[in-house]
Amino acid sequence: MRSRAPAFELRAFLRRLPLALAGAVIVWAVARPVYTPILCATTQFLARLFEVPPASAVVLQGGDALLGRTDLRADSGWLKFPLTQIHFNLVPFLALVLALPRPLAAGRWRRLAVSLAVLAAAHVLSLLWQLKFLEAFSMGPWSRANYSDVARNVYGTLRYFFDIPVTFALPLLLWVGSYPDQVFALLGLEAPAKR
Amino acid sequence: MSPIRAFLGTPAGRFIGTYALVLSASFLVLALRPVNDRVVNPYTTVVAHEARLVLNLFGEGATVSGQVLSSPRFSVAIYNGCNGLEAILIFVSGVVAFPSPWRRKVVGIALGFLAIQVFNVVRVVSLFYVGVFRPQWFSVSHVFVWQSLVIIFGVVLWLVWVRRYAVAGARF
Repeated sequence: MRSRAPAFELRAFLRRLPLALAGAVIVWAVARPVYTPILCATTQFLARLFEVPPASAVVLQGGDALLGRTDLRADSGWLKFPLTQIHFNLVPFLALVLALPRPLAAGRWRRLAVSLAVLAAAHVLSLLWQLKFLEAFSMGPWSRANYSDVARNVYGTLRYFFDIPVTFALPLLLWVGSYPDQVFALLGLEAPAKR
Repeated sequence: MSPIRAFLGTPAGRFIGTYALVLSASFLVLALRPVNDRVVNPYTTVVAHEARLVLNLFGEGATVSGQVLSSPRFSVAIYNGCNGLEAILIFVSGVVAFPSPWRRKVVGIALGFLAIQVFNVVRVVSLFYVGVFRPQWFSVSHVFVWQSLVIIFGVVLWLVWVRRYAVAGARF
């Protein structure tokens, strides 16, 4: 079960990690201006999909998202939410990927693309649950009239899970799931495919 | 057999499935109000007191009220998500999900808990000083820098534990 790969693979990974982290920060900084408008637009689209009238709003304002409803008074119930809180986990995920040996070799691009798509989907859902939580809890009588106790509990739970466990654990899960051979080699185990 | 089911049959898939299950269950338990009131909040207060002790070594004259750490120069409130519990659960779930003997898991959890405690106190103290000297950088340091480092620290700790202590007795 154990491979004879010496521990230097892990040491080399740890030596590459700071540089990989710097690279990940650069990618994040370059991608952010393009990514955040798409994130807000996709979330708003999903929120309005089954809504009558379609009034949920996710408005990009600098690095934040303004969450609210267009059919309520302009000065009521808008929340300014920092988008970095949602998409910062791209950085640790990319750092872990880039610190692997030959992370972008042939065939690994596809895995990276799938992982990034999953991460992006989690970001959209995370922002969506923030919006639904705001609507269900923070708009006074309107919230109570439009959301049942069950719905409020469901949105509260979803918001909590996407706010902390999903945001923090997804980089590790995607990293192990997308690159099992390389991660298992780091751990001193044979590649799963060989067993 | 579906690709997902096939993947969950591999060692990596079993690890991920178990990890996700343990992590979800532990965060669900933490979210319960009695656990939050009797465990999470007192634990967060302990973290605030640890940071206070370090800050007072530098003559800050810091005090703690609930989960708020204050000094004449700056104050920080330590919320759930900033108390290190998320890093501890990421690490502990990885340890529990890895198929190694329980004795090694217990040792790993105990040592990892201590390491993350130290790391988190460094985080709180550094954020305090960012707030004192560069308050305009506080938000980016808090959300972006330290949360990224927390995730990476948890993963590196788990890798080191597996490689040095757990892999010898691992059973897949």
